[in-house]
Amino acid sequence: MASTLGAALSGIATQSHAAVPYPVEKKALKIGFVPISCAAPLIMAQAKGYFQDEGITVELRKTPGWALIRDNLLNGSFDASHLLSPMPLALSAGAGHTPHPVRAVTMQNINGQAITLALKHRERRDPRDWKGMTFAIPFEFSMHNLMLRAYLAHYGLDPDHDVTLRVTAPPEMVANLRAGNIDGFLGPEPFNQRAVINEIGFLHILTAEIWDGHPCCALGMTEEFIAENPNTYAAVQRAMIRAAAFMHKMENRLEAAQILSKPEYLNHSELVIRQGLTGHYADGLGNVKNNLHRAEFSPFPYYSSGVWMMEQMQRWGYIPRSVDSRNIVEQVFLLPDVRRQATALALADLPSPENTNYPDFQVLGVPFTASTYPSTQGTKP
Amino acid sequence: MQNRINQPLPLVTVNQLEKQYTKNNPSVFSDISFSIARGEFVCMIGHSGCGKSTILNILAGLEVATSGQVSINGHAIKGPGLDRGVVFQGHALMPWLTVEQNVAMAIRARHPAMPREDVQKKTEHYLELVNLTGAIHKRPAELSGGMRQRVGIARAFSTTPELLLMDEPFGALDALTRGVIQDELLNICTQTSQTVFMITHDIDEAILLADRLVLMSTGPNAHIAEIVENPLPKNRSRTEIHHQEGYSDLRKHIMDFLVKPNK
Amino acid sequence: MMSRADHLKGVVLSLILALILLFSWQYLTESNSIQSHDISAENREYEILMGHTQATQQPDHNFPSPRQFALEAWQELKAPFHNTSTNDRGIGWQLGASLYRVIIGYGLAVLVAVPLGLLLGQQPILRAALNPFIQILRPISPLAWMPIALYTIKNAEECGIFVIFICSVWPILLNTSFGVSRLRKEWLDVAKTLELGWARRLWLIILPASAPTIVTGMRVGLGIAWLAIIAAEMLVGSSGIGYFVWNQWNNLSISNVILAVLLIGITGMILDTTFAALQRRVSYAE
Repeated sequence: MASTLGAALSGIATQSHAAVPYPVEKKALKIGFVPISCAAPLIMAQAKGYFQDEGITVELRKTPGWALIRDNLLNGSFDASHLLSPMPLALSAGAGHTPHPVRAVTMQNINGQAITLALKHRERRDPRDWKGMTFAIPFEFSMHNLMLRAYLAHYGLDPDHDVTLRVTAPPEMVANLRAGNIDGFLGPEPFNQRAVINEIGFLHILTAEIWDGHPCCALGMTEEFIAENPNTYAAVQRAMIRAAAFMHKMENRLEAAQILSKPEYLNHSELVIRQGLTGHYADGLGNVKNNLHRAEFSPFPYYSSGVWMMEQMQRWGYIPRSVDSRNIVEQVFLLPDVRRQATALALADLPSPENTNYPDFQVLGVPFTASTYPSTQGTKP
Repeated sequence: MQNRINQPLPLVTVNQLEKQYTKNNPSVFSDISFSIARGEFVCMIGHSGCGKSTILNILAGLEVATSGQVSINGHAIKGPGLDRGVVFQGHALMPWLTVEQNVAMAIRARHPAMPREDVQKKTEHYLELVNLTGAIHKRPAELSGGMRQRVGIARAFSTTPELLLMDEPFGALDALTRGVIQDELLNICTQTSQTVFMITHDIDEAILLADRLVLMSTGPNAHIAEIVENPLPKNRSRTEIHHQEGYSDLRKHIMDFLVKPNK
Repeated sequence: MMSRADHLKGVVLSLILALILLFSWQYLTESNSIQSHDISAENREYEILMGHTQATQQPDHNFPSPRQFALEAWQELKAPFHNTSTNDRGIGWQLGASLYRVIIGYGLAVLVAVPLGLLLGQQPILRAALNPFIQILRPISPLAWMPIALYTIKNAEECGIFVIFICSVWPILLNTSFGVSRLRKEWLDVAKTLELGWARRLWLIILPASAPTIVTGMRVGLGIAWLAIIAAEMLVGSSGIGYFVWNQWNNLSISNVILAVLLIGITGMILDTTFAALQRRVSYAE
């Protein structure tokens, strides 16, 4: 019936130009988001009318937390949702529960996070001196948690014993930093910049300076939803790719900051959001800084970054070592579809993707080469 | 004076009544047999624990006897009913209702289809009988003990029962109030030829009100010690009764019975 | 009883307290905002990025003074029912959404708890059998129910309603069954001698007799429902005054959070006063 027809059409749809509309199975979608700057592409796809161009009406649902976003996506209250990029991997691998197959439809943003420290630690910049400190992270299955752990471990600290990591909602990070309950946090924008402007913290390091080019948030759907609504999936993916292209272009960032600051989206002052998006910012220590890499946007969910996330989740015991990382990542990150659709869209503002699905990168100067990363299948310890 | 002794059909017949609460204990009372004629006022006197209230409750249909038969109008009593009105020891008025509403509830129960105005008229009538017209909109908590019991009596009468059952209705009242209400009760009963079964342990009250007195022996295993006819004429009055012939003898007789240990 | 004069004195005293509170608030927040910024920088650009421009003379990160609060509260109260999108609605609209959930959830709780309480009150064995379950379920916080509700009900809106229901049902149930179990036997005897059927017995005797305890339970239940919905909405979001608090907290807009907290308190007080009046109506002296 309708779904079979949709399935038959989907193959063509993903290979064709966006201007040619294909009948979407579900026209009205509910998409959840957490009000942070990482959701900029999702919000732009809505605000700039990219969803509308695809013939779908989207209701964006502002949601207070990641656990709730996850539950709402899994129980079908949301058709798609803003996710932290390790979430679909952890869910599909069944970290701590029965596996729920969730897919990363596109990545949303790259870099854009920071470690913020309380002003009283302004002379204590060496992580080796951070023993006994308390840091807030937004969620366990987040790049924030994994990168903070990697950063601390790089400087010889055991993140499970030498410091306390506390899962905290971002606005509470700022309040807790002021109250002195935490010493710092690795959090999303606009809360790092907010701590700076509120004169309670400073930007110790941007995540762009830890791993330039790391993905942060994704747009997720359940495998079930994609199977039932292949054209809708493809339409959402196209809108998200166009939004990524919009966000990628530096000239558009001021407009984006304007849009994001509205009460229905981030509900934050434009001044705060703008600094996180443009990379022209006050660091909280009296310096004006410029870093064009502070926030970046790209829709491509490269497998190598996924393998890094899987490896880190295994390293810290969230996922058993027996799980085949590459296998999971290649199922969850829908990179080939994103590539196909991006090619078909041929957007001038979108940088051409890497040639390989496993591009190399460096974390704190240490190269990570996932293309040679051994598949652990069948080599259970 | 009417001939009660040869009355062919008594209204109430109690035959071989026995009550035992638990198997291994002696019964509270046994072998209780008496009858009440139409229009007769019967008082039961006895010490506490002889099961007087239980007998009254069995007549009311609120309790069940272990053995024996109770019938009214020739029909065995199976449960409570509107043919018997009860004046409870502790008045049992609904504290959330006014005096008027308490009585009206009973009248509506008796006459479900009666129009509102008629219910009101009837209510006022019965409250007038017990001289409570002034307190009609008050709640029980605002009334004195005597007034509450008057409402209870008005409520019991308002359903025009064939048999009125009263369980020590004046036990909690002071002597003065008690006297006034006894007079009122006597008046109404004479006017309406009401059949009454009443429990008391006040000898004067019994002599004033009762046509016949059922004297109970002490429990457990109580039984009827004696049934005494009141020799005084029917039109007794509280102010003159103790001057009447036979009063002292009867009082002495009952007093002796109550004071002496009897088994 | 308090005399009129004493009553007046009480009112005056509480006005004085309010003024003291307001003045100390003003004093503490004003002295706060005079504080100079210890991170000084000649760099004009830095000052701009930090928001220290003429337009925003008052640093917005301090606890608001009563004047700032009044100004911002007025902004919000000017259009209490604006409805820009699902994520941006006026405070009146949000309050309405919360009240709507409370009415549904609490109404269901009353519909379930009162009849069940009437039954349990008259059936001591059933009461004894269910009591352990009730005692275990009763003290569970609304927030603890939330994840379970989300997992089983799978709908945020219904979850909020469920949490209100599950939290307000116990006091109503317990009070109803307690009230009925303590019904005086002679009232029921009167009902029997008057040959009242079960419906009339329920309506004329049992309900009015236990109404004071039932309404007390309902009053307690409503208080809990109002607490629960705020907590649930802060957790689940999407709409309601609890979501409003969370959304303003997200924005670190303390003024609006204070406004919402005040409104929550006032609404709770109005709800409670309503039930206190109802309680007076159904109570009786024995």
